[in-house]
Amino acid sequence: MDDAKPIPHYIGTPIITMKGISRRFGHTLALDNVSLDVRRGEVLMIVGPSGSGKSTLLRCINYLELPDAGMVEIDGVVLSRHGVDLNRIREHVGMVFQRFELFPHLTVIQNIMLAQRIVAKRSPQASEQIARDLLAKVGIGEKADSYPVQLSGGQQQRVAIARSLAMQPKVMLFDEPTSALDPEMIKEVLDVMLDLAREGMTMVIVSHEMGFARAAANRVVFMDQGRIVEMGAPEQVFDNPHHDRTRLFLSKVLQH
Amino acid sequence: MGEVGSSEINQTARSPLGRSSLRQAPWWLIILGIGIVFVLLAMMRNEDYAKTLGYVLGGVGLSVFITVVAYVAALIIGLIAGLGRVSANPIAYHTATLYVEVMRGLPMLVIILYTQFVIAPMIGAQRNPALSGILALALGYGAYLAEVYRAGIESIERGQAEAARSLGMSAGQTMRHIILPQALRRVLPPLGNDFIAMLKDSSLLSAIGVNELTQLARIEGSRTFDYFRAFNSAAILYLILTLLLSLGVRLLERRTSSGRR
Repeated sequence: MDDAKPIPHYIGTPIITMKGISRRFGHTLALDNVSLDVRRGEVLMIVGPSGSGKSTLLRCINYLELPDAGMVEIDGVVLSRHGVDLNRIREHVGMVFQRFELFPHLTVIQNIMLAQRIVAKRSPQASEQIARDLLAKVGIGEKADSYPVQLSGGQQQRVAIARSLAMQPKVMLFDEPTSALDPEMIKEVLDVMLDLAREGMTMVIVSHEMGFARAAANRVVFMDQGRIVEMGAPEQVFDNPHHDRTRLFLSKVLQH
Repeated sequence: MGEVGSSEINQTARSPLGRSSLRQAPWWLIILGIGIVFVLLAMMRNEDYAKTLGYVLGGVGLSVFITVVAYVAALIIGLIAGLGRVSANPIAYHTATLYVEVMRGLPMLVIILYTQFVIAPMIGAQRNPALSGILALALGYGAYLAEVYRAGIESIERGQAEAARSLGMSAGQTMRHIILPQALRRVLPPLGNDFIAMLKDSSLLSAIGVNELTQLARIEGSRTFDYFRAFNSAAILYLILTLLLSLGVRLLERRTSSGRR
């Protein structure tokens, strides 16, 4: 993140609209009536203490977690509407997980090709070409025929990003993409994400990487106890938070 | 631990716990193997014994054949029932559960007798007890294998399915391309153990007159009134088969646990 602030984003119309999302786990209310828009080309960071509901909110976007109440609309399609094929929606909403979740029984290139073949129905040649291009793009072209366990955490996460990108997503969701990484590997993953942001990819990121937020995020959302407490440009939320809870959280996160 | 064969190579090597591999060598297996060889040699030297052994040996082929056919059928039945056990579809789930619980609640011998004397006459097939036997073993073991598959499927981390679904794969595609290949690898050793168990249970088919290993031993015993020799012969043949198979399972176990996939 040595580069200056990336690209002035073209921020367009909302591509994700969430209205009144609630989700309950047993007796705890993980999400309490949350509404949020994500606009085209936007990089949105969600921060907050653990248990604040940020990951749940992210997982509600592609219905990996079903909200108990509320509405999610992606690119004009309301997910809960009768007859909506969730698989077709998810195909174009990339997701990157904290624990990478590469398929351990497949090689790197097979990991990236599988969904292209059986979901997008591309030819083997086209799938492989796309996979190789993406591997080169995330900087590990030489690992195509390795198995995931033979890669470092940072390399695995870059493969996971490439795997999502292969489906040509309209939006990329990142669920704490660097939390399971050794410190020296965080940068290589963030660099890939920064490149994506520069290219204008719409990204929703749950993460505590404040440096990345300042460098790449258009907006930061601070969540606590299942609610959005505060939302704004990174400078405003980090340097001049309106709420005590935000300030308290930031002082804990930033003091080291 | 199954340190077969490697004990001679590195007798001085020590595990972190300080136990030499000499101590970890499967002495029980070596002693048993030597014992079997001695007993076999002793049997062969006695002409009557050799005859008995030769006669009983004639049943090994049918025992192994029945077990292999029934096991392959059980693998398929078990996979279908196992998928039913993890299915979100209530009809599939409850049908599979009903089958598994009924079969596991019945003694294998009762399943065999029921197949031969109740089901086979209904479809006019009681003339061939081997066929009934194969059907009974397949149905009974299908239930056990279903639970093995289910455990394997449930042992795959949830994140794997989430990653697959987030790429747009359907539930079926996720099961077929992501979950099952990993689950099968994990359940290979228990599946192998059930093959051994089925080989032993195939002896129950002697109750419906299938001329497999145990039945031949019974026939030979009642013919010569020398049950001692007849069942010694059967026992030693079963032991040779099961020991060889369990060695195979151990190798499989080591390969799947040390394997990277």
